[in-house]
Amino acid sequence: MEQYYLFVSIFVPVIGSFLLPAVGKFSERVRNLSALLFVLVSLFGALALVPAVMAGRVINIAIPLPLGFNFAFTADMLAVFMAIVSSLVGSIIVLYSFDYISHYDNRNEYYLMVVLFLGSMMGLVYSANLIFIYLFWEITAIASWRLIGFFREPIHVLRADKAFLVTVFGALMMLLGFIFIYNTAGSFDLAAIKVYFKTNPVPNIAVILILFGILSKSATLPFHTWLPDAGVAPSPVTALLHAAVLVKIGVYVFARLFIVTLPLTPQWNVIIPVIAAVSALVSAGAALVETDMKRIIAYSTVSQIGFIFLGFAIGTEVGVAGALLYILMHGLAKGGLFLCAGIVEQNTKTKDITRMGGLIRTMPVTAISFLACAFSVMGIPPFGGFFSKYLVFSGTANSGHLFIAATFLVGAILTIMYLLRIFNLIFMGESHLANVKEGSQTMVVSVAVLAGLSLLCGICIKYPSEFVQSAVKQMMGL
Amino acid sequence: MPSLIILVPLLGLIILNMPIGNFMRRGAFWFAIALFSAQVLLAVFHHSLAWTGKLPPVDALFKVGFTIDHLTFIMFICIGLVSFSSLLVARHAMGDEGELFKFINLLIIASVGMSGIVMVKDIFSLYIFLEITSIASFILIAFRKDVYGLEGAFKYLVLSAVATILMLTSIALFILVSGDTSFSTIGASLQSGNRVIVMLAIGIFICGLFIKGGVVPFHGWLPDAYMSAPAPVSILLAGIITKAAGIYTLIRITSAVFGFIEPVKAILMLAGTVSILFGAFAALGQNDFKRMLAYSSISQIGYIVLGAGTGTALGIAGAVFHLFNHSVFKSLLFVNASAVEKELKTNDMNRMGGLSYRMPITSATSMVGFLSTCGIPPLSGFWSKLLILIALWQTGHFAYATIAVLASVLTLAYFLMMQRKVFFGKLALGLENVKERGAGIMFVSIALAFITIGAGIFFPVIYNNFLLPIKEILVK
Repeated sequence: MEQYYLFVSIFVPVIGSFLLPAVGKFSERVRNLSALLFVLVSLFGALALVPAVMAGRVINIAIPLPLGFNFAFTADMLAVFMAIVSSLVGSIIVLYSFDYISHYDNRNEYYLMVVLFLGSMMGLVYSANLIFIYLFWEITAIASWRLIGFFREPIHVLRADKAFLVTVFGALMMLLGFIFIYNTAGSFDLAAIKVYFKTNPVPNIAVILILFGILSKSATLPFHTWLPDAGVAPSPVTALLHAAVLVKIGVYVFARLFIVTLPLTPQWNVIIPVIAAVSALVSAGAALVETDMKRIIAYSTVSQIGFIFLGFAIGTEVGVAGALLYILMHGLAKGGLFLCAGIVEQNTKTKDITRMGGLIRTMPVTAISFLACAFSVMGIPPFGGFFSKYLVFSGTANSGHLFIAATFLVGAILTIMYLLRIFNLIFMGESHLANVKEGSQTMVVSVAVLAGLSLLCGICIKYPSEFVQSAVKQMMGL
Repeated sequence: MPSLIILVPLLGLIILNMPIGNFMRRGAFWFAIALFSAQVLLAVFHHSLAWTGKLPPVDALFKVGFTIDHLTFIMFICIGLVSFSSLLVARHAMGDEGELFKFINLLIIASVGMSGIVMVKDIFSLYIFLEITSIASFILIAFRKDVYGLEGAFKYLVLSAVATILMLTSIALFILVSGDTSFSTIGASLQSGNRVIVMLAIGIFICGLFIKGGVVPFHGWLPDAYMSAPAPVSILLAGIITKAAGIYTLIRITSAVFGFIEPVKAILMLAGTVSILFGAFAALGQNDFKRMLAYSSISQIGYIVLGAGTGTALGIAGAVFHLFNHSVFKSLLFVNASAVEKELKTNDMNRMGGLSYRMPITSATSMVGFLSTCGIPPLSGFWSKLLILIALWQTGHFAYATIAVLASVLTLAYFLMMQRKVFFGKLALGLENVKERGAGIMFVSIALAFITIGAGIFFPVIYNNFLLPIKEILVK
């Protein structure tokens, strides 16, 4: 039975997405609702798997195919956690899109790509085979390419091409790494690879090649530049890309490969945190001086991804748990920030924060939601972001990397600075703009839900953290 | 009964040109459709018992032994697909009935030539069929009798003549060494023959095939020929003629005659890699839609040669699958290019833009085509490139594998440039009244796009049933 849930939550959105343009020819409304329905199927499919995986079971679908290209999907706790986070934020974003996108061209393509993107994300998290991970990885790249170029201006198309090229370059290097592992272990199947590398060392070149892919997809230094540029996309898309899903693909694959499947040699526990630290500091600095609202939030994403990498790369139980919680909290809060920015941008027709001010008076719900999400990203208790940040720091300090922990502390302080700066410039002070209205009802409700969830996850931290703790135990085989 | 595959179109050609009034001229299109269907059906059902051994006198008429194995079978599928596409496009692209009639005659001749190439088992008959195909292509390229067409045809003619001389010399040397022309006899005697003469003969034969296939550094004729030929001819040339005449022959001769000896493998892999890089870099600098596709062809042919150069079962399976895929997606892209050319009366990409608003089907299908060329999953081009990569990695050619992978980024770069200039983006000025081409061309595009997607999704089935058996050509 659970296998059906697993199957349905991947293939309903992937196949359903191609029906959306046809449906859209007849009725906008039906198309929008069916898009939401397809994403909700993924969400409920993943939620239906929770009791089974909480009981410690792992649900597998495996059809052997030639050359080790096995059609294999696995739902363990890590996969289910990731699926819930992505489809939860994804469905809120689709809901928000109803109003946001309703007055632009190419709506059919938009819904096709968004639902295809979320569906392939589901496929990616459940894949138990390197080739299928790569396959879904590239489908998300195609979808994000079309979505970034959504408005069709020359600069948008150029930046869409840039994002596509950078991520495909990384992915192809990763594919070489996969082939390297295939050649060593004799299979693309993660279960077989895991067995093989229990007794054999992992080749470092393969790790480097795979890191190319992970870093480029997760927009980490030195492959981060496409992400701020991708801010020209419609706001729900940037929220989708930056916050909820796309950049998390890299960290998810990192966890799936280097924590669950391949044991990393100890030197990587230092090298990767250093890369993450540089990335976190440089992008936080960039976020402090930018004046384009969406670029600031995008740089902030690059910076926060560094924290997630840190938690995973440290490799202790506490650190990995912190990183997993971070994926959830950051997805909710950063999604909320981008969607708030979308409301502000649509109503003020500008992205330049120096030309805004005093918007709290005309759009109070947006302002408060923005602040709540910002608090969560900063790590202020009792918001959810506090717990994840605390666990990552505590994991780092406990494993003795005090210098790295101190560097990240600087990054965390910079986070507080640039988020307060952007909030002050947009919402506080004198108003420079006249006749600004609050966003439409659906949009405001969407951001309020995200802000509320950020707070709720902090107050009821017990439930996510229990789930995450058992997930970590299962991942690390404790 | 394999000889029927040659005889049926030949008889058809004679009937088509009988002086029985205008009736045949008008029905030429449907007649050709029927001929090609018969050819494909004969190829597909050659295994069923009803066909084998019943009519020995027909096969006995030929001194040439025709055989159909799995590799030949895949080539027949490619020949059939591309001929159909070219024919359907010609119906819309050719000016009048007379031109269409001439085109169909030449198309049938070319198809007879290619069918012969993929079935023969001796080197001299192979040469004859190569020449039949080439002569049909010279005339096809110069079909419109304009300056560019004549220039392209002349370049091809001159270089083809060089290839002919090289191959004939090589065949003479082979006869000198072995005293026979059949693949198996030559193959056996090469082991014992004079080393220098054998290597010389192999070397110049490969050069001849490189010219026919447009492999760097013998590619000079290819961009001019593809660009200046009328649309249906470009489809035919890019889709199948260079593949059958150059690349298929290369794979067949190397496996059946030369054997995958080290020097041959080294030459193939080097030439393949140089072609990949040269074609990709040259394509980056083009402003002409069809010329860019021509350079892209050179680059993709490089992948096929590189894959075949590994000499392993997996590498050859990958190379043949890439050949099939390239036939499909390059035909698709040329069909779309011809649709755009017909509407806009230009091939200059700088004068296009935002065509996805006016030609949604053309735009969507060319996206499928170019993503498959770049090897983006789940499209079929990904699997063939993956097979080639795994084969390279298994044989220890890490550097070639890395170059092949990075060249995919270049491929993506020039196709994204094409996409940006032609389809994606805002509608360019003066293009408000552009429409989709007729249903016939759209049908071809959609069918080819579905083959690309379908072959990608059902790759395991294709691998088990069609690609895996190809390794029989390696067993001697």
